[in-house]
Amino acid sequence: MVSLSNHEGIARASVQTASWFDRLTMKRFSSRRSPLIWWLMAAPAVLLCLGFVWLPMAATFGLSVVDVNVLRGMAVWRGLAHYGDTLANPDFHLALKNTAIYLAVLLPLQILVPLLLAYALMHLAGRVVSLYRGALFLPAVLSFPIAAVVWLWLFNPVVGVLNAVLTALGGMPQRWLNDPDMAIYAVCAVSFWKCFGLNLPIFAAALANVPPELRQAAALDGAGPWRRAWHVELPMISPTLFFAGVTTLLLVLDEIVGAVDVLTEGGPFKTSTNLLYFLYERAFRHFQFGEAAAVATLIMGLVAAATWLQFRMFERRVHYA
Amino acid sequence: MSTTLDALPQAAPLPRVRLKLRWRLRLPLLHVALAVLSLLTVMPLLWMVRTAFTPHAEVFRSTLALVPANPTVANFPAAFGLFPVGDWFLNSLGVATACALGKLIVAAPAAFAFARGRFAGRDAGFALVVGTMTVPYVITLIPTYMAVVQAGLYDTHLAVIIPTVAHCGFACFFLRQAFRQLPGEIFEAAAIDGAGPWRQFLLVALPNVRAALAALFVLGFLSAWNLYLWPLLVLESPEHKTLAIGLKLFATTGEQGGQWGPLMATAMLGVAPVLILFLLAQKQIVSAFVTSGIR
Repeated sequence: MVSLSNHEGIARASVQTASWFDRLTMKRFSSRRSPLIWWLMAAPAVLLCLGFVWLPMAATFGLSVVDVNVLRGMAVWRGLAHYGDTLANPDFHLALKNTAIYLAVLLPLQILVPLLLAYALMHLAGRVVSLYRGALFLPAVLSFPIAAVVWLWLFNPVVGVLNAVLTALGGMPQRWLNDPDMAIYAVCAVSFWKCFGLNLPIFAAALANVPPELRQAAALDGAGPWRRAWHVELPMISPTLFFAGVTTLLLVLDEIVGAVDVLTEGGPFKTSTNLLYFLYERAFRHFQFGEAAAVATLIMGLVAAATWLQFRMFERRVHYA
Repeated sequence: MSTTLDALPQAAPLPRVRLKLRWRLRLPLLHVALAVLSLLTVMPLLWMVRTAFTPHAEVFRSTLALVPANPTVANFPAAFGLFPVGDWFLNSLGVATACALGKLIVAAPAAFAFARGRFAGRDAGFALVVGTMTVPYVITLIPTYMAVVQAGLYDTHLAVIIPTVAHCGFACFFLRQAFRQLPGEIFEAAAIDGAGPWRQFLLVALPNVRAALAALFVLGFLSAWNLYLWPLLVLESPEHKTLAIGLKLFATTGEQGGQWGPLMATAMLGVAPVLILFLLAQKQIVSAFVTSGIR
């Protein structure tokens, strides 16, 4: 209070200073108010991001090198022991291997199928096309657990509709989610069903943005639709394809856990876990927060590497376009 | 001279690449293929609806008929009797609305300050907020969980809402773009009329970006409605759960009793708001998804 009135006193006393200050603010700020008001507008977002993203991120790094005793409020330095324990854990190897399988199955599917569909939709016209678009996109707005519950019913080995279809077609009924060799692919199928539509409008927009002159020029040079697709359209939309690749990576590392938990809980015999599910189990079933923080840091490293790659791709595109 | 000038800027749109006859003949085939694929895509949802209206005894009769022989709505009250499904639904509705609104309330003024304000640290603040878009939420999970428990917010809806609202990087980015697309003159005119930043924001900026706000609200609602792992970690008591995690409880305990009809009825409740939003605003949702490039 004292300092405020003091400030006012100084401002009133020194007209010259005030006008100097005024001129400065007039030039630097689009409004005559002090920058404080702008900061007040930005403050909630900035503080929330600091407190709930950047600070926890730093805390995760910190947790991964200590043992915390919550009851005593003490932390004991462990160095890289949590990383060592994690890397030596056979369950971690399994989770890593499964994450690789998820990626190997979902990455090509998530890009190829929506791409083919976007091509097909591009060549079609009429009101019915928007119906196709809506139907194909629809599962993308659902959540993983809801999608998973719907499929849990379809996969039911005794009365599920998939086995009914199989037997009607003369096939053998399957155990689906209870089959250690099949469970992970069943989870892949559900994830694919829920997510492929997401890339569809993204690819369609990218295809629509390919300059028609390029297609025209290629057509004049005698290139048919296949060659135009391969030599003109595909290179033009490659940054979008790469972007979809990174999204799929995040999907596998991040989002799929909802499907895994509802469909199989990582089983049978941990054959369908992934890295995030492993983290979830370490942290919230075994309460090994230090190890879980180490896993989180490793996942973060994978995501950071992928993001770095993405930026490199964008950089190239800027340079050569 | 004048003819070339006229011709240059609005050159006639290039004629569409004509498909050869061979290709045009394939189009009906393409239509059939896409119709089949579309049907296959929505089939699991149709089967969910079918099961939700099938009486308990008929569920176990292995049949492929899409319409049950004796349709019934008894599965809905049955679901409400087995689990607090009504609570779950209202919890989801409340949490999703609060998350979407909260994000707008936090992000809109910040985005306006980042778009129109000139103040020291603006760019640093913007980088700090937008940089959160690159951070996967996995890395924040454990410390945030510990903080929520320490703060005594465990098993409350605030524990879901506050951290979700805090991930407002994309909303800030999206709204800043919207604000920057508005002509600067309207703000200068408002400033001359004596409007400060807050009045410019509330009276000039916000009414002009209604479409962006609506798109963000829908996106925020959908993503909060679909939240899974975080609510699973911080909501424990059955009546505090949201629909997404309640379904998991239902599926793991109801499966043994073969309560498929009520389970599918509950799943239908989970799909319904999303479906309604989707049918009402398909274009906006799709374009918002495309802009955000997120899941």
